[in-house]
Amino acid sequence: MKSPILSVESVDLAYGKAQVLHGVSLSVEPGEMVFIAGRNGAGKTTLLRTIAGFLPRAAGTVRYEGKDLGTVRPESVARSGIRYVAQDKRVFGKLTVRENIEIAAHVSGERVQEAVDRIVATYPPMEKFLDGSAGSLSGGQRQILLIGRALVGSPKLLLVDEPTEGLAAGTIEDIFRLLDGMKGRLSFLIVEQNLPVIARLADRVYLMKEGKIDRELATREEIEAPDSVERYL
Amino acid sequence: MIGTLIYGLTIGGILYIISIGLSLTFGTMRIVNFAHAFVYALGAYLLITAFRKMGLSFLAAAGFGVLAVLPVAYVIEAYVIRRLYGESLDYAIIATYAVLLIGVDLIKWVWGASPISLNDPIGKDVEILGVSLPVYRLVIITLAFVIYGGLYLFFRKTIVGKIVIAGLDDKDAVRSLGIDVDRYFSIVFLLGSGLAALGGVLYAPITSVHPYMGFQILLLCFAVVIVGGMGSLHGTFLSAFALGMVISLTGRFWGPAAETMVFVVMAVVLIFKPIDV
Repeated sequence: MKSPILSVESVDLAYGKAQVLHGVSLSVEPGEMVFIAGRNGAGKTTLLRTIAGFLPRAAGTVRYEGKDLGTVRPESVARSGIRYVAQDKRVFGKLTVRENIEIAAHVSGERVQEAVDRIVATYPPMEKFLDGSAGSLSGGQRQILLIGRALVGSPKLLLVDEPTEGLAAGTIEDIFRLLDGMKGRLSFLIVEQNLPVIARLADRVYLMKEGKIDRELATREEIEAPDSVERYL
Repeated sequence: MIGTLIYGLTIGGILYIISIGLSLTFGTMRIVNFAHAFVYALGAYLLITAFRKMGLSFLAAAGFGVLAVLPVAYVIEAYVIRRLYGESLDYAIIATYAVLLIGVDLIKWVWGASPISLNDPIGKDVEILGVSLPVYRLVIITLAFVIYGGLYLFFRKTIVGKIVIAGLDDKDAVRSLGIDVDRYFSIVFLLGSGLAALGGVLYAPITSVHPYMGFQILLLCFAVVIVGGMGSLHGTFLSAFALGMVISLTGRFWGPAAETMVFVVMAVVLIFKPIDV
């Protein structure tokens, strides 16, 4: 068995006196697409933001490629090879699509045109929006830009929070194809509530409840079994 | 009337140059920076030292006034402002107001409390539509437009400017791309402080230079920023010139109410466009 690219061990997190995460442990293997599902308030987004360095852990460790991330800041986590795509689908709306990509390329050292070409190759319709305001993109296009922007600089692990939330069925299919096309090439930890997307893409699923990992679904049979995920949503 | 309009544009230009730094500091760092008024006054005093004591030309002394303020602004940013990121606005107000008070006392200790006057450094007039106007005021108005254009290019064409715009939009998203956005905000803070000092330098020959000059202008600048929109390049520009005109036109017809009208306009704007902090 390969050593995990991400290993979360007994992580606790509290907002003031309210403990939100209770001893959460999970792992992601290289090239694996792992989903986290659970009801609203289960602690899924908090967990992703904790791994991404936005929230300070009260206890526990987060290891990336075997190295303890310690109490690093989000920019250091990103530079180490982990990218976080937030739930809110907010792009840099006052900049163009190309400038959104340019900012991502700035820190990674990747040439802007190469990064743009790669995103257009992944989602050709984006080409006609490149010099338009990113703020005028639809929700689905924004999500594709956010994922594309996060891929600039070739990160090894993507943390994606609810990529299909609030999107129309046709757009969800676009997101599905985008994620499916990248499967195996890099590792993913995705928070998602959309059952068909989870069933079609997941290598493993962690089910969260009240700030804890309640169950792990590690085989196709378990993931596809009726009600296995649904009763946690 | 032409004279009144040119005076309004001059005040607008000065207000813009000083306010834009205040506006950007609030827009980027979410900090109401009272220390901005100290930097403004310090610029004027350093101009006087360089011009009168060191014997530099007005232009060189003005450059000295702006550049010599930057290390002071850096210290304020590194040791006060940076520690206030993400804290409540109240803390920022108290801490930066304390810096302003310390700064004013420092100015009194070094330069004394008596007002100091400077002559118009150009000392020439030009006739426009039969009205004689000081060239210096036209230079200030032109400079305000040049700075507006320069800042526009800086924010639209340079990667530093684009990162700052992105950070204004969504700071966490910029950080999650691996960019230490606070470092870029610090650059903006220094830029804004340099412009505040430039405002002090330019206004010194028009008004008298005294330790409390910052207090007077700060309230007007807050009005500019609130009316124009915090962090808005275009809004601050339009608001500064509009309020400059309000001061000038009100002053022509009813002198004592000139500055009061600025706050009446601000109150009206707040009724229809409450600020979101």
